Amino acid sequence: MTSVLRPTLARCLWTTPLFAALAVFVTFVARSIFDMQPVMQENTFLTVAYIFGAIGFIVGIGGMDYWFSWIIGGELDENDHSQHGAHSWRDYFKFNTDHKVIGIQYIVFTFIMYLVGGMFAEVFRAELAKPGMQSISNGQYNELISSHGTIMIFTFMVPIFAGIGNYVIPLMIGADDMAFPRLNAVSFWLLPLAGIILLSAWLYGSYNTGWTAYPTLQDQSPFGQTLFQIGVIIAGSSSIATAVNFLVTIIAMRAPGMTLFRMPLLCWANLATSALVVAATPFVAGAMFMAMFDREMGTHFFTTDGGGTALAYQHIFWFYSHPAVYIMVLPGFGIISEVIATHARKPVFGYRAVAFSSAGIAVLGFSVWAHHMFASGMQSWLRVPIMFATLLIAVPTGIKIFSWVGTLWGGVIRMTTANLFAIGFIVAFVIGGLSGVMLAAVPFDLSITNSYFIVAHFHYVLFGGSVLTVFAGLYHWFPKVTGRMYDEKLGKWHFWLTFIALNGTFFPMHYQGLEGMPRRVADYAPQFAWSNTVITISAFVLGASTLIFVYNMIHSVRHGAKAGANPWGSLTLEWQVSSPPPIFNFPTTPRVVGGPYRYGEEGVKHAVFPDEQPVETETTVGA
Amino acid sequence: MAAADVTAPKIQPYRTNLNVCVMGLIIFLVSELALFGAFFMYYANLRLARGVAWPGDFDIPANNTSINTLILVVSSFTCEFALLSLDKSGKGGRVFGWLFVTFALGAVFLGLQVHEYMTVGFTPQTTSVGAIFFCLTGLHGLHVFIGLLLLGLGMVRAVRGRWSPDNHVGLLGISVYWHFVDIVWVVLFTVVYCLPSS
Repeated sequence: MTSVLRPTLARCLWTTPLFAALAVFVTFVARSIFDMQPVMQENTFLTVAYIFGAIGFIVGIGGMDYWFSWIIGGELDENDHSQHGAHSWRDYFKFNTDHKVIGIQYIVFTFIMYLVGGMFAEVFRAELAKPGMQSISNGQYNELISSHGTIMIFTFMVPIFAGIGNYVIPLMIGADDMAFPRLNAVSFWLLPLAGIILLSAWLYGSYNTGWTAYPTLQDQSPFGQTLFQIGVIIAGSSSIATAVNFLVTIIAMRAPGMTLFRMPLLCWANLATSALVVAATPFVAGAMFMAMFDREMGTHFFTTDGGGTALAYQHIFWFYSHPAVYIMVLPGFGIISEVIATHARKPVFGYRAVAFSSAGIAVLGFSVWAHHMFASGMQSWLRVPIMFATLLIAVPTGIKIFSWVGTLWGGVIRMTTANLFAIGFIVAFVIGGLSGVMLAAVPFDLSITNSYFIVAHFHYVLFGGSVLTVFAGLYHWFPKVTGRMYDEKLGKWHFWLTFIALNGTFFPMHYQGLEGMPRRVADYAPQFAWSNTVITISAFVLGASTLIFVYNMIHSVRHGAKAGANPWGSLTLEWQVSSPPPIFNFPTTPRVVGGPYRYGEEGVKHAVFPDEQPVETETTVGA
Repeated sequence: MAAADVTAPKIQPYRTNLNVCVMGLIIFLVSELALFGAFFMYYANLRLARGVAWPGDFDIPANNTSINTLILVVSSFTCEFALLSLDKSGKGGRVFGWLFVTFALGAVFLGLQVHEYMTVGFTPQTTSVGAIFFCLTGLHGLHVFIGLLLLGLGMVRAVRGRWSPDNHVGLLGISVYWHFVDIVWVVLFTVVYCLPSS
């Protein structure tokens, strides 16, 4: 019985309805006092119930317990680690402050959302297999593509990198945890909440406006659209909290000797990403709040009849959402640098250039938002500067591509699954990057906008780019997380099926787009029948290949061969402790004595532990 | 060179003078600034770029609200005095006193703001300018309200003697937050109340 009082999911079962009911009651009283007609406005009550129910959930899971006792000035035990670490599988369903547990929670949850979002895609791909309307209606098609985009972006692509970073970054920089472990746990638990709210939109007539949800189209959507806005705001709060945590951790928690230029490149990538999240994500929250007020309070931010302007939404939304595409890929770049250096046994080529290019992308990322709006009727003088800035951003990205190729060049390349995914990523990302440069040119964009060419471009950079880096990272760190090896043979099947099916799915879309097939339409002209059938078959293969991955992971956690501490012979700090790492990461504080990628030099170390003698302390930077 | 000699005296452990909690708070406030930025962006687009007028014959009460601005600026100083009085006594009494003065000034600010809402003559639903006016000042008002709650907990802990010269990170955080609220108001006052539309 006490489990309904202690911080557990069971306690959420009464705190969530309690907070929601209180909020509804207060709203009802306020509406009665101010005589707002009609008093019984169902959508208003649902909105406040969802928002305050979410707060109730965080209170129930235990997110506020410590802070509340701090606020009232109670006695606190600084060394109470009862919520730290996982001792049984049950601890993964609790408020846990261990960054390793939170990392696994993140990865598992976001991957489930990836499967859900993928299912939406498979359903509408089945509909698109041949011309004409088969099993779903036009409205359902729009709802499916909207849910696919929203779920994939807000509950998979952005947070899975937070998950991988959560697990790996404190280990990489020699810290015993993140800077704010409780905040870390709160930011994880906000995420299932966002996922549930986004999915529960289907109960109220889902949203059908794409993941961009432009007004004034969204003003006509059913109540599910408001849940979309609440879900996005909650997912955004989660990523801001994580980003604050990463920034402070990387700035202040590094082990002795870990200078900025001795950090593994994943830390640099996360530093840049977190700065982007902190500065950009509030803009999408602002846009969502204003749009929600328009829908639920009758304001006129984006409706012309009250002097508002729909274009302002697009500006504010893309001011977040363009940096967001770098949020979705920069940590992936960091993962690729780790994987390639380790598996090609070579120092990263041009370490400083790669580190600075991450920062460069983060800065330039704020100056290119309007290239999503070339066809929107915005001020035309804005087009050319934005086009130049967009083309310029290919330079730091190109630096990274050259660095990876240069690292592979002449290396002793081991074709492990992780490395295969990294190399596959380079190929796919170059294709996506090149179509991106084409789209940056205003005349080309104006003629091709809203066609399948756009769909091809962003799936090459988001699937061929981000998702392949996620797989590379998951395979690379799987032995560290579980202490066991995955099945290489199944891993290679997974890679080749994924890579072939990815090209089979998204490459024909270039052709379709150039031929003028519009996106976001459930039916198409008969001349696209053949290419759409190819795409649908490839999409099914893509879905099936993911199941191989899931089987491989679940099976190998229990039955894989023992991995040992350092199966890849990596130099970075996370591989210098046991697999899985001890509960407080390092038995003794490591001392960093050199760069992280000094492969190929005899007896060189990145870090030593106090009982060891440092072999060499030449402070060559990076490489 | 023998291996033992080169344990690298150059290597410094990474200690910052800034407490990690305060650093985290400052980074969070950057993010808050961006949230205000979203609403300022909309306001600038509406009023400064497109020159949309206030609803009806409304005239923004710049003179009355400048008193409000003065109150908030003064409260920033009184909040800082709470931190300064910490080092001298070590007891909670003077800290409590200054925090209470700050709290009272903040409460007066909020009261005057609510009074302005009631006399302003339009609602958020009237036009887009009305909506963004209430949104910007309301978001700031919400931050003042949260600041009052924080000052309240600062007072609770002061009464219980939880602040000392060695342990006052929370108090430092409250004052950083309060200064942030103050600075945002000064910017908001300048942009919304003082700048003429184009």
